[in-house]
Amino acid sequence: MTQYSSDSAAEQGLASCQSCGKLSTVSNKFCRRCRAPLHLRKPYNIQKTLALLITALMFYIPANLYPIMATEQLGMIESANIVEGVIALWEMGSQPIAMVVFIASVIVPVTKFIILFWLCYSVRFNTHIDAAERAVLYRITEFIGRWSMVDVFVVAILVALIQLGSLLNVRPGIAALTFAISVVLTMIAAMTFDPRLLWDKLESSDQQVTNKLNITKDN
Amino acid sequence: MSTKIACQHCDYLMSFPVLNPGQCALCSRCGHKISRLKVNAINNLMSYSLTGVILLILSLLFPFMSFTLSGNMMEITLWQAATELYSGPYKLLALGVFAFIVLFPAVILGFILLFLVSLNLFGHTFYNSTLLRLIFTLLPWSMAEVFFVAVLVSLIKLVTIAQIGIGLSFGAYLLFCLCYVKVLTLVDKHQFWYWMDLAKKS
Repeated sequence: MTQYSSDSAAEQGLASCQSCGKLSTVSNKFCRRCRAPLHLRKPYNIQKTLALLITALMFYIPANLYPIMATEQLGMIESANIVEGVIALWEMGSQPIAMVVFIASVIVPVTKFIILFWLCYSVRFNTHIDAAERAVLYRITEFIGRWSMVDVFVVAILVALIQLGSLLNVRPGIAALTFAISVVLTMIAAMTFDPRLLWDKLESSDQQVTNKLNITKDN
Repeated sequence: MSTKIACQHCDYLMSFPVLNPGQCALCSRCGHKISRLKVNAINNLMSYSLTGVILLILSLLFPFMSFTLSGNMMEITLWQAATELYSGPYKLLALGVFAFIVLFPAVILGFILLFLVSLNLFGHTFYNSTLLRLIFTLLPWSMAEVFFVAVLVSLIKLVTIAQIGIGLSFGAYLLFCLCYVKVLTLVDKHQFWYWMDLAKKS
């Protein structure tokens, strides 16, 4: 029973450089082309991904509870958190924009947390779910990660632009910072996860599929 | 050994793809895009990167947006949009925003230009592999296009409560974003390292 699937480079002791993609024998330790360290799989990647995800989650909770920005109009201070901001936009009549903000700052982070936790779980406990489907999920998390920053940039723009003293001014809230940190951490978590692990147990799951097929034939 | 590579997403062993312009190589097991070579890639990369750098510099020089409410007007530059937070308690956030929307895109475009120019003029140079490693490390952290969406969102947020004006820099940054996205479609890890190897051999 080997650790890697039979078509993989790792099976033959070849490590693909994470930095430049060059294939070398893993005994080299460092890539000869770009001098990056060589590994068959990213070392401790599940542990690191989980640690980053849990930290990101800890920053994500205050990001949703505390105000992301405060508006002061003629002495009245009104602060809003992420969800309240979306509701305010919706009630102002700009539903499409409310949808954009809602997707970027609520749906995207939550989806990313769920997918990455689930990918770690599926690798650790070797669940027999189609590797190709999980690879698609991984690519989605990698692609959507950066788009969560929309809300943070909106705060930055409004804070810079709306400074009319006591008439109207906008100040950033603590949630802007914790949300940004949370997004950055989930992005690093997605990079730390090694998608090649999804394919390493391919043989065993293939066998399961053929077994299932045989059973259905027998029936 | 050098005639083989492995898919970065599933470690599937395959022969080294040498592409003609217009071709794209996908992993036959997981479908990950191994490499894509667009027609006229190097020329387009150079021209769009250069245009992007110039536009980004221009967009830092002029007013970006203005905001008028009951006779009071406030005008900001792109520089202020990124760094105004720095005067408050959120210095870390200000630095992050500045890096994501101005610094990293500028550095990436500059390094791509430097890499391609020195590749064409001097062949292989000692700093080429460092440049490439930096480019591909910074790529996910550059969020110019995300910032542009944020600008549109804030515009629509404000249009109902005040008069909003857009400045010269706004147009420059829009055009810069278009150039930047075009560059992103042309940048290809496999091809960049392959070009460096070719220069090394000759």
